[in-house]
Amino acid sequence: MASRRKQLQLNWIDFAVFAVFIAALAYTAYRVDSVLKYEWDWSGIWNYMYRWDEEQQRWVKNLLVQGLYTTLRLALWGIGLAAVIGAVFGTMRTSRRLLPRMLSRTYVELVRNIPPLVLIFIFYFFISSQILPLFGVEEFIRHAGPGTLAWLQVLLGPPNLIPNVVSGILCLAMLEGAYVTEIVRAGIQSVPKTQVEAGVSVGLSRRQLMHHVILPQAVQRVVPPLAGQFITLVKDSSIVSLISVQELSYLAMETAVSTSRVFEVWITVAALYFGVCFSCALLFTRLEKRMAVRRQ
Amino acid sequence: MGSTNEGVRLETAAMLCLMLAAGSCGERAGQPTSSASVVETIKKRGALKVGMSTFVPWAMRNKEGELVGFEIDVARRLATDMGVAVEFVPTAWDGIIPALLAGKFDVIIGGLSITAQRNLTVNFTVPYAHSGMGVAANRELSAGMAWPEDYNRSAVTFTCRRGATSCTAVEELFPRAALRRFDDDPQAAQEVLNGNAHAFVSSYPNPTLLAHRYGDKLFLPTTESLTRGNEAFGLRKGDPDALNFFSNWILVNTSSGWLEDRHTYWFKTADWAGQIDLNDSSEQPAANVEPRGSNGIAPQATPAELD
Repeated sequence: MASRRKQLQLNWIDFAVFAVFIAALAYTAYRVDSVLKYEWDWSGIWNYMYRWDEEQQRWVKNLLVQGLYTTLRLALWGIGLAAVIGAVFGTMRTSRRLLPRMLSRTYVELVRNIPPLVLIFIFYFFISSQILPLFGVEEFIRHAGPGTLAWLQVLLGPPNLIPNVVSGILCLAMLEGAYVTEIVRAGIQSVPKTQVEAGVSVGLSRRQLMHHVILPQAVQRVVPPLAGQFITLVKDSSIVSLISVQELSYLAMETAVSTSRVFEVWITVAALYFGVCFSCALLFTRLEKRMAVRRQ
Repeated sequence: MGSTNEGVRLETAAMLCLMLAAGSCGERAGQPTSSASVVETIKKRGALKVGMSTFVPWAMRNKEGELVGFEIDVARRLATDMGVAVEFVPTAWDGIIPALLAGKFDVIIGGLSITAQRNLTVNFTVPYAHSGMGVAANRELSAGMAWPEDYNRSAVTFTCRRGATSCTAVEELFPRAALRRFDDDPQAAQEVLNGNAHAFVSSYPNPTLLAHRYGDKLFLPTTESLTRGNEAFGLRKGDPDALNFFSNWILVNTSSGWLEDRHTYWFKTADWAGQIDLNDSSEQPAANVEPRGSNGIAPQATPAELD
């Protein structure tokens, strides 16, 4: 059993590998510094995250943190919607009838076989020129009372940017929904056929079969890939900056252009994204462990 | 039911869906609301929606994260004169014309130069500004090269901001030189700073400001303008009322000298440098309004230098 135990001490080979790695890193930094003619100045970056407001006498969010909040809103709503889309289309993928299978397969294949960027460009102009006016999103916001606006502010951010954020959310959900669909389908189909046959033989209806036999097992199996997909969604949210959704990447670009502190701004933004995604990863790992314990 | 059969049917269904979607898009997307002028829409809404893109010093973010710049002044004044509020819709430069056509905003006030190509898809007002195009070159790479004849060679590389008129200017004036297009001005300039390209083309005052900031790496091969740009408001087609209104607003404000005055402030002075400068003292931001030389815009630049 000793060989199975996790190694707790580093030996000299590990140190050697580590030293080589550090040396390579230092050399890269040196090379970058000699090639890149750039005046580094980190002093003002903090101001673009939080700034001191003289009038209100308190710290307020500036561009980068505003963008981070929008990114988080995009991610949370996107995850929610993608989960709903995935659950519906994923179940349809395993349906016995042809039409649902056809519809969901068309959706999945369309999204998976077109680059996200291209799809977003097409879908965005369709959303912003057709879907949003159809539901009168803008009119609704303009005529909303202060109470409604306060709620909207919490849920979707600054009211004047809501149509913008909503189109971002719809684009992301549509994109990630296809991948969630496949994960859900795989989860359902991972339940051995013998169990389904056994269920049928004791007279369970398809709904009962789903509820008592398939879903309890499928849900457990899809949690790890779903977690991965959700982290991907957070990262993918940066592509909606191309349709001018005012999230972290877009505002970072604006800040970089305005201040010409290109690298400082982007490195800060990279750190922010890493922070969010890594915390998500840690959270999901804990969740999985807890689920594993409960199963035993 | 054979799987091949199912596959064929599936494909057909997918194709049909695609065609339906594409058809409905082509029919309706981009159609202007020609029944009523956009001017009426703006008055009814009580807000003017302006499409713009970040571009120093046309429109940029100040320390408070708010938009400032020449264009921002113009749009604010226009809205005040119309008696409505102004809403800015920051949009990526590449997609600014499609976004206008899709109805994301009423008008582009974004340093958009009039070109025949663009005019085929959007209407332009009379120009409200005339920008000059300048060049900043790498000292090492471009040493001893005569302007402009030595720059029109295949060994020379220019950089510019993608989709901007600076790219067109280089293609026309230096047909033999290579041209690299970047998403934004800072990236295009960085390429020249790194010594990967000879010269960077952009509208004034960018080349001058950069050459000032990186005096040891960059210089100005010429102080003359490569081209004279005509920047105008961009509008959806089929709206003569709006075209008339905006054009005459520009006419009135040109005659009164207000546009010229604002243009001089943003393009020929560096008085505004403190507004967008990165601030190094996070404890007392208000006290530190003095612009610093190492950042963004050089405060030492006098109007004469920038001209």
